[in-house]
Amino acid sequence: MTLASAARLGVDPHRDLTDYDPEADLMVLNMGPQHPSTHGVFRVKLYLDGETIVRAVPYVGYLHRGVEKLLEELTFVQATPIVDKNDYVSPMTNEQAINMAFEALLEVEVPRRARYMRTLFAEMSRISSHLLWLATFGIDMGGALGGGTTLFLHCFRERESILDLFELVTGARFHYNTHTIGGNRHDIPAGWAKRVHQALDLIASRVDEYLDLSTKNAIFVARTRGVGTLPAKLALELGITGPILRASGVDHDLRRDAPFHAYDEIDVKVQTEQAGDCLARAHVRIRELSESIRLSKLLVDGLPEGPICGGRPIKNPTQFKAKDGQAYVALETPRGELGTYVIGGGGNKGASPYRLKIRPPSLHALAAMPYLLVGGTISDAVVILGSLDPIMGEADR
Amino acid sequence: MLKAEAYRALLESDFGVQEFSDKTPPCIEASEHHRLAATLKERGYTLYGFVAATHMPAVKGAADALELAGHYEVATGLRCPTEGSHIAIWRVRLGLDEELRTLVDLFVGADWQEREQYDLVGVRFADHPDLRRLMLPEDWEGHPLHRDYPIDTPHPPWR
Repeated sequence: MTLASAARLGVDPHRDLTDYDPEADLMVLNMGPQHPSTHGVFRVKLYLDGETIVRAVPYVGYLHRGVEKLLEELTFVQATPIVDKNDYVSPMTNEQAINMAFEALLEVEVPRRARYMRTLFAEMSRISSHLLWLATFGIDMGGALGGGTTLFLHCFRERESILDLFELVTGARFHYNTHTIGGNRHDIPAGWAKRVHQALDLIASRVDEYLDLSTKNAIFVARTRGVGTLPAKLALELGITGPILRASGVDHDLRRDAPFHAYDEIDVKVQTEQAGDCLARAHVRIRELSESIRLSKLLVDGLPEGPICGGRPIKNPTQFKAKDGQAYVALETPRGELGTYVIGGGGNKGASPYRLKIRPPSLHALAAMPYLLVGGTISDAVVILGSLDPIMGEADR
Repeated sequence: MLKAEAYRALLESDFGVQEFSDKTPPCIEASEHHRLAATLKERGYTLYGFVAATHMPAVKGAADALELAGHYEVATGLRCPTEGSHIAIWRVRLGLDEELRTLVDLFVGADWQEREQYDLVGVRFADHPDLRRLMLPEDWEGHPLHRDYPIDTPHPPWR
């Protein structure tokens, strides 16, 4: 890092510690790669002066599977089940992102019912993803919340009801493979809307319970307020999006600002906070949970009739071909802007992408770690990492 | 959209872009890459988007010198996080032995993203403070998304 930008941002992630106080007795501690609080396989090397972190160096890539390379070999039609495994906490939005990019490249129209269904699935994914975040954040807090297992189990219980609903539609709890180019594969079964309402009402009635267990708990607040404060300017420069950016006071949400699918027909209330610390991020996510419940109810009631997949049914993996062209399509997942940059004209006579780049919001969020950890303690490191809600499958791809 | 038109006008007037296509983002000179990013940052494109490098292998008998020898194509996106949320995307082309000036001094988020592109594709960024591999181990040979990279080597590490 050049000195100019270190002065601009307050923290130098490439700080040279050779001139550090020789009396200080610096210690290097590896947090991870296998650590229960690292939400996957992630290592951060902490340089400690006593218990204060003076420098943090994150290492990613332990879950690198070469997804971008793999997708160059597969055809457009075959890509969906692969990207399911990227962000394994909300696979629906991954499928949606890659298929939207392919639809933009191949100029395929999506029927209105499929657009509504995709938006509904995305909002329900947001509920399940934020519930899982709150559950694991409770575990991260550990002793502060009496072990955190109450919050953990409560959130998992409710998340299961969302997964049950997805199972009724797609037959799978988790890796759905339900989006395809031009629409969806599985239509909604009879009586499903009623069950959606039942499940969402149950979750809505328990949001207060989560608040009691988390942001109304004095110890929770003491451990998160003023911890890991991310200024808006740094968040923007790092490319951080989603709830983390909104908790830093930037009113930006692609669902409202660049509407895709059914979002131009519904009014999304964007949740923001000004403080930018771990508590603000928790507030934003819990309020988004309530907002997504409201949107899901609107969407399931307003689901239009019609076909769920445009054009001819897909019978052949090489059915869609692109000679050339490039497209970048971004959408708002529970973690922020998931972008897909795709260049057409690849192998299998144009039925594969020539190059495909996924812009994972989690990787941008993790890049904030060297800035957020400095000055904090080891126990703060666990809280800060948890508040960023990283999914390593997506960050490493 | 107003932002998109303003972006196009900026490219035409200050960066000498003549050709615009609906299918591909505009292409500018590699030497103008950093200046365009700085100009856009001043105009409100403060949210770092993405960088995606692609290796284009040599094309026999191509009229263009870069296409004849093989080249890298680097696409960069910067987003304006206000109403409309326009993302400005541009491409640059550079030879296989050339380096592209880093954007780390403007956007610290470019640090990891450019490291990733160097790691996977092999394109090098000039003046980058810490150009190490990001995803793969430090002793890994080759760049997997480079077109010359063999995907079926019989010896370890099996790729």
